[in-house]
Formats: sequence, C-alpha cells, structure tokens
Amino acid sequence: MENLTKETIDKGLEVLDTKNDGKLLTHLNSCVHCGLCADSCTYYRANPEAKYIPATKVDLVASIYRKYQTFGGKAFPKIVGARTLNEETTKEMVDLLFGACTMCARCVSHCSIGVDITYVIKKGREMLSNMGMIPETLQSTINSAIESGNNMSISEKDFVETLEWLEEDLQFEVDDDDAKIYLDQKGKDILYTLNPREPKFFPLSISAMAKVFHVAGESWTISTKMYDVTNYAYYSGNYEEAAIITQRLYDEAENLESKKVVLAECGHGSRAFRWEGPNYIKKEYPFDVITSVELLASYLNEGRIKVDPNKIPEKVTLHDPCNLARSGGIWKEQRYILNECVSDFVEMTPHGIDNLCCGGGGGQLAMSEYNDRRMAIGEIKAEQIRATGAKIVATPCHNCVDQLSQLNVTFKLGIKIMTLGEIVADAIVMENEK
Amino acid sequence: MIHGVKIISYGMPKDYSKKRGDISKSVGYSYIGAMSPMKKESAFLHLPTYIAGLSYHIGTFLSLFLFVFFIPGIYPTGLVALIISIILLISGISGFGILIKRISKDQLRSLSNPDDYISNILVTLIQLMTAVVLYIPQSASYYFILISIFFLYLPIGKLKHVVYFFAARYHLGFFYGWRGVWPPKQG
Ligand code: SF4
Ligand code: SF4
Ligand code: SF4
Repeated sequence: MENLTKETIDKGLEVLDTKNDGKLLTHLNSCVHCGLCADSCTYYRANPEAKYIPATKVDLVASIYRKYQTFGGKAFPKIVGARTLNEETTKEMVDLLFGACTMCARCVSHCSIGVDITYVIKKGREMLSNMGMIPETLQSTINSAIESGNNMSISEKDFVETLEWLEEDLQFEVDDDDAKIYLDQKGKDILYTLNPREPKFFPLSISAMAKVFHVAGESWTISTKMYDVTNYAYYSGNYEEAAIITQRLYDEAENLESKKVVLAECGHGSRAFRWEGPNYIKKEYPFDVITSVELLASYLNEGRIKVDPNKIPEKVTLHDPCNLARSGGIWKEQRYILNECVSDFVEMTPHGIDNLCCGGGGGQLAMSEYNDRRMAIGEIKAEQIRATGAKIVATPCHNCVDQLSQLNVTFKLGIKIMTLGEIVADAIVMENEK
Repeated sequence: MIHGVKIISYGMPKDYSKKRGDISKSVGYSYIGAMSPMKKESAFLHLPTYIAGLSYHIGTFLSLFLFVFFIPGIYPTGLVALIISIILLISGISGFGILIKRISKDQLRSLSNPDDYISNILVTLIQLMTAVVLYIPQSASYYFILISIFFLYLPIGKLKHVVYFFAARYHLGFFYGWRGVWPPKQG
C-alpha cells in the first residue's frame, strides 16, 4: 500500500463527521468491548480469532473516530484506545471490513447493547471508498454495471435474444401462443427487474416468473435498457456510484410509466433499491416498490394462481437471505409460499430474521481474494442444510443461489437449489389441468 | 449530559424510503422484547456473564441513586442498609468477576484498552465504597473523592454508554421499525 497523503486521509475522515448524524455518533460510542457478539458471527465461528469478533471490526472504525473527534481520544489516545488513520489501520480495515464481513447484520440483534455493527462497518467501507481503496475485484463488478447497464456486461442484443427464446419456451410450457415476455412496454402495472445472473446463468428462473405472470394475468414488462436489480456500490461504500445505478432504474420506471417496480429475487438488490436507493438519490419514489416474494405471496393469497403442493413431494428447506429477512422484514411471506407450494417443508435452525448468512453476501462473491474465508463460513450453512435432510433448498436470492451452489459441490450436499419463482412455477396448476 | 444533548441536537439523516412498519411499537420492542435474554446469543450463550453483567448494572444504578441521598447527608440505616450493602457486595463481586474474565481471556484482552479496565475498577470501587459508607460514615470523604473522579472520567471513556445505550436501542428500534422487521410478526 503506497504512503497515504494528507488529502487521502482527510477524505476518509470526512465520513466520520458526526455533526449531523446522531445515529452515527451513537453507534460509534456504544460498544463496551464485552465481546459477547463473537459467536453470532460466522467468521468467528469458522475461525475463532479475535480479529473476527464483530466488535473488533467496529473498533477499527470507532478507534479512529475517537482519535480525531473526541476529547478523550485527542488528550489520552493510549487510554481510550484511539488510533491514527494510517497505512497500518487502512490495511486492517480493508482486510476485515471488506474481507471478513458479509454485512449480514446477525451480530446486531445479538449485541448486548444494540450497536448497529453493520452500520459502522458500512461507514468504514465508505471511508475506504473515499480513500480509493475498494478491492479491485469488487470495483470491477461495479464498473461493469456503470459502463454497460448490468453487472455482467451482457449486451442488449444477447439479452433480447435470450428473452426471445425464453418466450418461445414459455409458449410451449403453457401451451399458449399468445403468452408473452413483454419488453419495454409503456404503462404496464409492473416493471419486473432481474439479477443479471438470470439471463447469464439461470434463464429458467426468468421463464418461471414469466409463467407465473401469465397465469396470474399480470400486466408486466421487462426493460431491455435497465433491468439489473443489483447494486454492488451498496457494498463498496461508493454512494455516488450507488446513486447512478439507482437513478437509472428510477428513470426507467418513470420512462415506462410503470406503477410498480417488482424486485427480482436478490437480497442485497432489494435492500439497495427499496431501502437505500431513495437515500442515495435523495428523493422519494413516485411508484411502489415490492419484492417478487411479496408479489408471489399476494397471488396465492388472492387466488390469482392455484398450486398443488403434491407436485413437489421432496423435502424442501428455506435459506433466508439476510438482506431480505433481517434487514428487510420479509420472512413470513416465503414461508407462506412454501407451505402452499410444497408438501414437506422443514425449517433450518436458526431461521427467519435470525438466519445464518450463506457466506456470499457483503460483496464476497465478487471478491475472489477472500474465497477461502467465504467457503469456510459457508461450511456452517452447509452443515445447517445437511441437518434438515432436505433435497431442495429454496432461496429468494440469486447471490445466495450462487454461493449455495458452490457449497453444494464443495461439501457434497446433493441438493437442488431453487428460487421461489421456480418453486411456484413448478407447483402451479394450469387451467387445463383442473 | 453533553453527550445526551449532542445525540438529540445532531438529529438523524432523513430517510426517503417508504416506511413499512410501526416505529413506536418497534422502539418499544427494542427496549423490552429484544432485550430478553432468550432473544440474544450474547445472553443465553453466556449466562454467567449475562447474570454478572445484570447484577453489576443494578449495583451501578443503585449506587448512583444513593449518591443523590448522600449529598444532603441522608444515609439509610438498619435493615435497608443491610439489604443495600448485600446487593452492592454481590454487584461488586460481579464487577470483579467481569474484570478477571477480561484479564484472563486472550481474545477479550486483545479487544480491550486501558479504559475498559479503568472504567470497571472505578465503578466496582464506587459500589463497594457506597456499601462501606453506610456502615462507616467517617469514610464519606473518600467516597466523595472517588465519585468525583468517576464523574470527571465519565464523559471521557466508555462509561458514557450509560447515555449511548438508550440512544442505540432507540436508533435500532427506529431502523427495524421503519422496515417492518421489528416487532417480529408472529407465526
Ligand atoms: S455483519 Fe455478519 S459477517 Fe459482519 S460482523 Fe456482523 S455477523 Fe459478522
Ligand atoms: S456485543 Fe455489542 S457491545 Fe459487546 S463487544 Fe459486541 S458490539 Fe460491542
Ligand atoms: S448472499 Fe444471501 S445470505 Fe448471504 S448476505 Fe446476501 S442475501 Fe444474505
């Protein structure tokens, strides 16, 4: 790491200015170093070293705050553990805040005080971002999204071709030549987004949702210009780039005069657009935003689609994406869907808002330099799955699908991983079947 | 006091997202339901430490409460003094136990700075000194020196969590309430 200039350091420190932020002030001053959050973090569980304790990550940021912003830190730095922002602390921050945290927030609800540990870690990432120290691997994913409109750099031509053959597939599946995947249609009720992993690696999850929309008689469209639900700048802490990505989807929803944006099955994408996005662009959305999980649950609840749980007789378990459940409050809906659509649903322990992260969050899937740690924490999830005896793991997050697929191979789980859209589509009873 | 004023006057950044839950219910849950030892791994996985911590904090608040009476020279006597000193003895021992744990566990030691030890020792001494004053009123001058040091040190180190704890619970309740995560839905 090259020597840090004063200008670089000042840019990092700007983030810690608590003048207009009582929340930041609070969380930087609340940790009492009891260490009781250690067991709640999968990094620590997989590798019980002090550096992986959530409080150590918090203290990296808080100790720098104390040094520059508090009387105690300025007058008695050694006593209150105040640290200078320099090469050494920056290196530690990159390693632990980017490389040893999925921002799953599990530690937050278990903290004995109530420190919003993830909020502080996010601030630390924002500092590093201001200082130009985002890991290159993560930054390149963001660059792809900014430059091409989607994080996998899929060309519009390839995307449209994929959707065209998926439409043919859909017509065959539902036995209706009028079944459509609507592209760039104005004035539809729903603008449906996608995780670019879908057109690239999992196109069948798109046809699954298209089938559900068709049967529900939904008014919907996909944009060929801006369909990417992900926003990796949420993870990098570069909120200017996060705002660019958010604004694009916002503009497309406005341009297509959509009443509602439906977020594809993606934990961080849902969080980034629904909860963080309006704050990145500093305005309220004039349209509604819901997740596809809520939409699927509402179709079932309102009887717009009929399902037969006997169509999925295998034992199914559910992996809750942290960003959807713990940080988004969506955890009952997926249980309702599974209870309707499969005949043998079993929970993991723990689950819901107390779930364990799969290990793929926080941008870890993009940062290959931390692959060993990612797989080590993933083993805990793998054993949790194995203990259920399930043959299918349902999860409403394409990041999680990716990580779970790798866990499946590495730890020989012998499972099938499905999105909720795929589960619902498989369980659907078509008109001609009734 | 200064820290309390700061927390309130600094405010919070405006949230432009569309609220989904009930903030007052969530804040209430944050202070009560979410603090239940059954809900926290920091409590149920570490029961002895949790109980010691609880007892230690009861002793701290009791000591501060008694300080208000000691200023005008009101000292409880008889059975009341006995009960108070038993409670303070237990809480003081708990504080000492927490200190021993901090010193003896490698990982906890690496997480700690001198302030963690100073704060613990200071508060434990105040609890024990409060009990002593009840029986030996002549020791009051030492007690008042100690409590003055405590109040001087309070805004510098981690003891200020006495204010920030409540603010942290509020912010957490607000955050999870806004998104409809807390209070957790039944079922
Ligand atoms: S957010 Fe998750 S990964 Fe990060 S420190 Fe907390 S428990 Fe660990
Ligand atoms: S449990 Fe909370 S207060 Fe205790 S060390 Fe962890 S973050 Fe700090
Ligand atoms: S990858 Fe999935 S489980 Fe892991 S943090 Fe993201 S949403 Fe959570």
